[in-house]
Amino acid sequence: MARFTTACPRNCTSTCALRVTVENGRLTAIDAHPGNLATPEGPCLKGLSYLERVYSPERLLHPLRRTPKGFERVSWDAALDLIAEAFLAARTEYGPQSLFYYSASGTKGLLNGRGLAFWRAFGGCTTTYGDLCWPAGLEAARLTFGDNRQSAPWDLAQARLIVLWGKNPAETNLHQMPFIEQALAAGARLVVIDPRRTQSSERAHVLLQPRPGTDGALALGLAHLIIAAGEVDRAFIASHVGGYEAFAASVSAWTPERTAAATGVPERQIRRLAEDMGRIHPMTVCVGFGMQRYTNSGQTLRAMQALPVITGNLGRPGAGWVYANLATQVFGAVKDPLDFYPPETPDGVVRVSVSTARLGRDMLAQQDPPLRVAWVERGNPLSQNPDTKTVREAFRRLAFRVVVDERLTDTAREADLVLPSKSLFEQSDVIGAYWHAYLQLRQKVIEPPGEVLPETDLYRALGPRLGLSAEDLGAILPAPGDVGVEAWMQARLDPLGITLDDLRVGPVLAPGTEEVAFADGCFTTPSGKVELVSSEAKTRWGVDELPTYHESVEGPASGRFPLQFLTPNTKNGIHSQFLRLLVIRALDPGPTLCMGPEDAAARNLQVGDRVRVFNDRGELCLPLTVDFGLRPGVVAAFNGWGAEDGGSVNLLSAGRETDMGHGAAFHDNRVDVERA
Amino acid sequence: MAFRFTFDPNRCTGCEACVVGCWMENRAQQAAPWRRVPAFNPFHHPDLPGFSLSLACHHCDAPACLLNCPAQAYTQDPATGAVTLHGDRCMGCRYCTWACPHDAPRFVTATGTVEKCTFCPSRLEQGLEPACVARCPVAALGCEVREPAPDPQFPGLPPSSTRPGIRIVPLRRAAGPNLGAAPPEALLVRFLDQVLTMPEPKITLRGEWSLVVFTTVFAVLAAWLGASLLGGPTLSPWVFLGSGIAVMALGGLHLGRPSRAWRAGLNVATSWLSREIVLTSAFMGLGGLHLLGVLPGRAVGGSVAVLGFVSLFAIDRIYRVALRTGPWNLHSAHVLFNGLYLLGLLARIWPLALAMGLLKLGLTLHRQRFFSQRERPLRLVSGGLRVLLGFVVPALCAGWNPVLAGVFAVLGDLVARCEYYADLEIPTPAGHLAEVFRLRLAQARPPSAT
Repeated sequence: MARFTTACPRNCTSTCALRVTVENGRLTAIDAHPGNLATPEGPCLKGLSYLERVYSPERLLHPLRRTPKGFERVSWDAALDLIAEAFLAARTEYGPQSLFYYSASGTKGLLNGRGLAFWRAFGGCTTTYGDLCWPAGLEAARLTFGDNRQSAPWDLAQARLIVLWGKNPAETNLHQMPFIEQALAAGARLVVIDPRRTQSSERAHVLLQPRPGTDGALALGLAHLIIAAGEVDRAFIASHVGGYEAFAASVSAWTPERTAAATGVPERQIRRLAEDMGRIHPMTVCVGFGMQRYTNSGQTLRAMQALPVITGNLGRPGAGWVYANLATQVFGAVKDPLDFYPPETPDGVVRVSVSTARLGRDMLAQQDPPLRVAWVERGNPLSQNPDTKTVREAFRRLAFRVVVDERLTDTAREADLVLPSKSLFEQSDVIGAYWHAYLQLRQKVIEPPGEVLPETDLYRALGPRLGLSAEDLGAILPAPGDVGVEAWMQARLDPLGITLDDLRVGPVLAPGTEEVAFADGCFTTPSGKVELVSSEAKTRWGVDELPTYHESVEGPASGRFPLQFLTPNTKNGIHSQFLRLLVIRALDPGPTLCMGPEDAAARNLQVGDRVRVFNDRGELCLPLTVDFGLRPGVVAAFNGWGAEDGGSVNLLSAGRETDMGHGAAFHDNRVDVERA
Repeated sequence: MAFRFTFDPNRCTGCEACVVGCWMENRAQQAAPWRRVPAFNPFHHPDLPGFSLSLACHHCDAPACLLNCPAQAYTQDPATGAVTLHGDRCMGCRYCTWACPHDAPRFVTATGTVEKCTFCPSRLEQGLEPACVARCPVAALGCEVREPAPDPQFPGLPPSSTRPGIRIVPLRRAAGPNLGAAPPEALLVRFLDQVLTMPEPKITLRGEWSLVVFTTVFAVLAAWLGASLLGGPTLSPWVFLGSGIAVMALGGLHLGRPSRAWRAGLNVATSWLSREIVLTSAFMGLGGLHLLGVLPGRAVGGSVAVLGFVSLFAIDRIYRVALRTGPWNLHSAHVLFNGLYLLGLLARIWPLALAMGLLKLGLTLHRQRFFSQRERPLRLVSGGLRVLLGFVVPALCAGWNPVLAGVFAVLGDLVARCEYYADLEIPTPAGHLAEVFRLRLAQARPPSAT
């Protein structure tokens, strides 16, 4: 029996350290690793469910080729020959940019970058810019603060006022909840702002339920009241804030009456929260990703950021803006969000021309050359990108599609060739995080099962067939075997003064990690101050230099369907992962549509009815649940389920970017519901 | 030293990692989750808070499963407090699933036995916490040395005499979040019954029909044997043995592991089920020998008949874990009453027949009233049938044909006995959560305010 340190590489805020037990080459237990002070009590149910996932009968263990009768097993040789034939034909006929390379956030790791490096050596490809997850918020923070920095996770325990704004850590950042609980035990006040009454709001003192997409108006209205009451931190503003006077002048229009009318939040709740924000210090605002998935959301987050700024809640223990921590982005020259923007000067090799948010439409629109073949890894765009129908159409137009995955996802089912991918336990890699600042070793602890090849080995085998020399491959990929991977990792860790052996013991804080963000008073904006007025907001994104509120495109004024459709994340999955596992399935039988009693009664619906959720983009049939805590005019269904469970929620969403950051405006999505 | 669980609902988010952590430890012997995470107010009624619980076996100080198990399949380790179900001793009678108000033992069809949380004894031995505790990512579950404590009171812990080994930290805030608005009262009322679902009853008539037959036949045999000694209709040994053995075999088939039926008498010390099985077996054996003439004599016959009525008393005691019919939990279909009523009719002991008939009629009416106060279904059709068959017809024909009166009395009792099984209610954590929810809702929103 042996125990190893490793870490969960999912696209999840917590990014837990794990201690795993291996007996006779088989994983037998997954436990807490106390070395990560942000996740000392261990992973959530998903992290524990790997024990099933790694050995699941659903897992792909060898290449599969599509035939008219369904998928059939093929040898690696045959699979690689098929790829070479299709890809070389596309390259010859249309040029290398007819190859579409799509990778997403399915697993973290430094080796992920080898994929694009390989296709660059192939001669180039077309790929995406932007990101599905958090760009509008990242960009807003970059404009306001200069960078996305935040205090250590445990600093939250010192807050006296915690505002969970559009964030539901009980489901999406479980390990933040103990720090909130510590603060509450010490007498802190907890305010939750969310159209849903979430699990995280149950311990809160107050729940504000704005109309989705109107958070910007709420923030401006709060700022107005705080400023009018004189509860601002003048000293902090004088030394660290630019544009305050203009901001203060602009928010004066946001009277409580107007704010209440725009947001649907009662005036008394707005006034009380403004009082709390003005008077209770330190305040930490913890921000989720949902409310920055609208067409107005970069401006929304800029308005929200102004609240800790004007009250001086930056750079102090227990205070701050908790959205994203990029402290572990220490391996490249450029951090998020800039690194996923299209290059200002295209290099002529890799064409970065497809918006992730508009994936289907942009794929179809590519010319000179059009897209012919595709390679997808770490992603399931047919379920998780907006506008499923168009994405599917775009993939079906292609001559040949390769998908690398652990199981037959909706996207893999569309492929001509499905290649089995490693699990997190089958190849070492170094992973970062975006809530805490630990670098962690996702360690190889078992051999890949069946014929599974880690992607680096797959590229090594494929390279010669595509005409890449051993020298080419040597420049792109780690040397063969575990030793080669470890040497490659160590070379990247050397400049940081960290060894793989350090990481084998436990997580290591990234160099330059700060306990309290911005305690140095250093803001890397053009002016060196917090910028409430940003000229870059206007020049780069064409929005107002001040944070302003405009209704999002599918707000009620759009005159579209009557209900706003939210598609949040469930604790039982990470996007489309985990939900089909038996241990999870036993606890969560499948998706439902959640509706408030007013909207259900208006449609004469009952709990358990099968209902059709529809708009002009698509439809979805789900059983109805009634939630007394859901705001009228809003319906919600967790995202992540695919065709096997009735279809993706993205059958209804629009392929549309956020106002800044090239994010996806998933929640700008209006629907109606009727009995199916 | 014995241990107990601790649970802090302020910390629990309902994430269910404990359920998966338990599975990881025990997956080789676990057909379905041993730990469950029920929620209070998961549908977010605006007047009440919501919280989750993580519940498995509480390894009680007075474990109802252990005390009631007829087969001695349970043991308790005084060193750790762990109540262990030994699968190789379990005969699958499911009585522990009735007796335990915490819903810890669960019957598994595949194995024909019950399984439940073990308290992870091998982990405790190594000084480790149980797997659910060790793998709780928010430190809501804990394990500590057991100390004398008053019974924990919390929604999800039905009141019982089991002295559960769990300490629950009180909620810091008794209220939910202050809300800006709430749905109209009429809509809350309209949808409450749809969202506040009561758990499926553990005992149903459909599931327990063989027990209806078993208990009714024994009541008839005890009464008939007694009556035959007091000048009533004679009882053939073949009828007695044939019907008795047939229904006992039927009872045996009802076990998940019939081959272990011999274990049923191992726990006469504390299990009424064990006592009942020993008593009914003795009654059958001795009654058969008496009727066959092997053990002749009026005194022997009388003793055997008394044994029969004691068996009926034991049968009634078995169901005390599940009977909720009022102050003394008496029921008009108690087999002891049925037996005595029938004895009165067949042996023409009119005062006995009249007394038992009136008692049963009174209990029938009491139950209707009692249930109607608790919004449980009124059984007007079966109740009417029961009164007609069981009381009116026997009263009319007892004088000229006691046997016919007896037949109708048995038919009436059969109806009542069917009601009886449908009336049985096992307290469960989920049921208790729903019950407390209704209670607190009524307190939060007194009728005058609505």
